[in-house]
Amino acid sequence: MNRLFAVVFVLSCAALLRRDPAAFLPALLRGAEDALKLGAAFAAVYAVWLGILKVAENARLTDALAGGLRPLTSRLFRVRDGETLGHIAVNLSANFFGMGGAATPAGVSAMRRLEGEKGGYARAMLFAVNSAGVQLVPVTLLALREKFGAASPYDILPPVFAASLVSLAAGMLLVRLIYGRKGG
Amino acid sequence: MKALAYILPSLFLAIVLIASVKKVKVYDSFAEGIKGAVPLVLSLFPYIAAMLILSSLFAASGLSAALEKALSPFFSLLGIPPEIAGLVLVKPLSGSGSAALLSEIFAEYGADSYIGRCASVVYAVGETVFYLSAVYFAGSKRRAPLLPVCIALVSNFAAVVVGCLCCRLF
Repeated sequence: MNRLFAVVFVLSCAALLRRDPAAFLPALLRGAEDALKLGAAFAAVYAVWLGILKVAENARLTDALAGGLRPLTSRLFRVRDGETLGHIAVNLSANFFGMGGAATPAGVSAMRRLEGEKGGYARAMLFAVNSAGVQLVPVTLLALREKFGAASPYDILPPVFAASLVSLAAGMLLVRLIYGRKGG
Repeated sequence: MKALAYILPSLFLAIVLIASVKKVKVYDSFAEGIKGAVPLVLSLFPYIAAMLILSSLFAASGLSAALEKALSPFFSLLGIPPEIAGLVLVKPLSGSGSAALLSEIFAEYGADSYIGRCASVVYAVGETVFYLSAVYFAGSKRRAPLLPVCIALVSNFAAVVVGCLCCRLF
């Protein structure tokens, strides 16, 4: 990642020097401003979701969810720890129901808990499953299609679902192949 | 679509009700959860900022447009309409950016056109991978997460190819 960052940075700088050197600093500052806005939005979203998540946790509701999904998650991620599995369960189900706001905080804290796992298999798997982003109802897409006068906004769902499953299957397969042996 | 609006409030209501029945200290628990949010956001912020600064620079340099142009023959070979090449490239980098591009494509070609449908699939499939990696692997002490990112990019790209194929079939 460090190398990738450096390469893209150097190439972009070089291209910008030839094109329009005056645009350099404004471009950097625009990125930083976006980050600040995003960070503030994050703080708000995380406060709400981690707050309610803790209430659900103390009421043993996430335990129930994790218990229901355990046969699936413990096999897929090769993890035993109950609380970690709870966070993973919340992350997966929130993603599926299109509540990205709830999914990310749970996913990030699960990633933190998985740091100790050897080989990085569980982290790679969680990242792959999240990246595929399988969603029951892609709300933003349907809203946009409606807005731009699609005759039937929903008829896009079969191809979207098929493609999502391809991404999920490919991701899981690749993680298994690459990390599978080391993870044990 | 209307029914969806009821899900979230009902969920929160159910959680708080059940918690109260179980005599959980709701207020304390809620505050305790938020306490965990602060260090999380603070630890994420530097990585998000670095990523967004870089992608802003990349877009301003004109390199992203050049890359788009260079890749379009390769895309059309795989059955991806060249008109949406930009969307395919921006998708892993920025969620709001790809939403903006999707609206442009809808406005130009129509939401029901073949191009519009392919663009819909590209937009809906997969997450913004680079953003997600910045968030999920932020502050990780372990080795660079280049491999998981590549896996995610490859599988999402495979999904785009299949999705465009599906658009032609259905």
